Amino acid sequence: MKRGVAITGMGIISAIGTNVEENMTALLFSKTGIGEISNITTRHQKDIKVGEVANTNSQIAKSLQLPENTIFSRSALLGSLAAKQALENAQIERISEYRTGLVSSTTVGGMDLTEKHYKTFQSNPETLKYLKSHPAGDSTQKIAEQLGITEFVTTISTACSSAANAIMLGARLIKAGKLDRVIVGGTDCLSKFTINGFKTLMILSNENCTPFDANRKGLNLGEAAAYLVLESEAVIKKANKKVLGYVSGYANANDAFHQTASSAEGEGAFLAMQKALKVANLQPEEIDYINAHGTATLNNDLSESVAIKRIFGDAVPDFSSTKALTGHTLAAAGAIEAVYSIVSLQEQCVFPNVNFKQPIPELNIPPAVKFQKKKVRHVMSNSFGFGGNCSSLIFSSE
Amino acid sequence: MEGVIQQFYLKSSILKTSLHIQSFCSFRFNKIILNGETVVAKEKGLSFSEFSKTVYKESGIAYPKFFKMDNLSKLTFLTAEVLLKNCALPSEEKEKMALVLSNRSASLDTDRKHQLSIQSKENFYPSPAVFVYTLPNIGMGEISIRHQIKGENAFFVFKEFNAKFLMQYSEALIHNKKASHVLCGWVDIEEDAYRSFMYLVSKRGTYIHSEAIINKEYQNI
Repeated sequence: MKRGVAITGMGIISAIGTNVEENMTALLFSKTGIGEISNITTRHQKDIKVGEVANTNSQIAKSLQLPENTIFSRSALLGSLAAKQALENAQIERISEYRTGLVSSTTVGGMDLTEKHYKTFQSNPETLKYLKSHPAGDSTQKIAEQLGITEFVTTISTACSSAANAIMLGARLIKAGKLDRVIVGGTDCLSKFTINGFKTLMILSNENCTPFDANRKGLNLGEAAAYLVLESEAVIKKANKKVLGYVSGYANANDAFHQTASSAEGEGAFLAMQKALKVANLQPEEIDYINAHGTATLNNDLSESVAIKRIFGDAVPDFSSTKALTGHTLAAAGAIEAVYSIVSLQEQCVFPNVNFKQPIPELNIPPAVKFQKKKVRHVMSNSFGFGGNCSSLIFSSE
Repeated sequence: MEGVIQQFYLKSSILKTSLHIQSFCSFRFNKIILNGETVVAKEKGLSFSEFSKTVYKESGIAYPKFFKMDNLSKLTFLTAEVLLKNCALPSEEKEKMALVLSNRSASLDTDRKHQLSIQSKENFYPSPAVFVYTLPNIGMGEISIRHQIKGENAFFVFKEFNAKFLMQYSEALIHNKKASHVLCGWVDIEEDAYRSFMYLVSKRGTYIHSEAIINKEYQNI
């Protein structure tokens, strides 16, 4: 069997930790990062719970050795921090040694700065520089500059499947021989725009979210960034590099149902999982754990469960959503969950789906509720976005 | 980006078998042309809203969601409707079809309307129902939903109609077995100045899939 694309490094910052080790510890002990919002002043403060990164912008800027009055958006700050960790973890010192690319995803872009300055920028040209960070591509460019990447730099913004698609594009670029290594992942900070937007859709819970529970009330938004380093087989051999795991399967499919809702049959999710298994050349029964999309909205969890049942039949593997710990981090979700999938392979364990009480009656397939050690060779990670943009990745230990 | 795709295509073109176009359809100046023939012609004075509503009603389609769409999506939807009705593809072929559309103005027509409602002191109401259409590829979503198309899709914004790019992109999709049919073309609207041109690329069909023919048919309205 042909191997997937090797992962040699990872970096992460989320509500449950500022590096891989802290995230791993939080996962092992089911330590939640969900709480009241503190960095953003919003009228919804009392009605929502979020997964916020504790570090302030100036703290992150300082650790990146950026000036105090940086024009980096919070997404660019979080992204730079996580991407630098990934490079360090992969022990990459000279970027120019190989053809190296960056595929970064974001949905929020520089919205946090735009929100602060859009009322004054016309009268105060001093603030215009902050608005220049608005486009999604700006955060990617800033991360690329921080890493010194000039070869291939691109941004993906496909709602909540963004980072999964970034990982998929990176893996395909390596497979096609277009790049020798590529940093892939995503970053999204919290912003009023996202809070208000999701509030309008009436899918935010005022309590800690309960993925896959019969009485789930909606999602908790979160902020995070995570990146993986993918390298070609030639580079791995030449440098005798340690491999953390492989991206063995990936697929993206179109649900063709609704702009902001998933179909009842979970068609897009079904097709994405089916195609990812085909790319990985695996049978459904070879999947040991699914890190589900599991946002805790009524619509997603039902639709995803139906799709999982359609793929796995009566032998549904252990599955759980880690969003009850981190919140839904939108364009970073696929990337932080890729890190968690690799941790699952490394630690040979399955993470629990916290806050779960009762299974969805229509399906009766409960998620894993206890942390368990078990043989894990292949992990599936799902990410489904608005617009019916459904992606599924498979990570394998060899 | 274009260069990369062209290079990519050149490699795969070695195994090229010639492709065809099954049908063409264009909307402009309140006229609809299908495979060279004028099938609908309305008064020039009608606005796009009036024209599209008349076309919808006369086509006998029952799809109330049409009325929620923005003008770019209406144009995309109706052009695909006329074209695909003429092609009569089985649903399993449609499901695997790819979509490759392009235009010049992205979703500016709707973006401006949304911005005006944000700026309006008297009628401040940035509607979520308008907001969802402030992306040019939403029209592709609408036709995917209508026809249950689940293949690859991409929307490109160009200064002008680019037959060569569309041709190479669809050939790459078909030769790399990503799709057996590609619904391709141009859908552009700014106020009442609209123009659409769609065609279906496949292995069989009346016309040869060539840059010259695509350009000729594009100019045909």
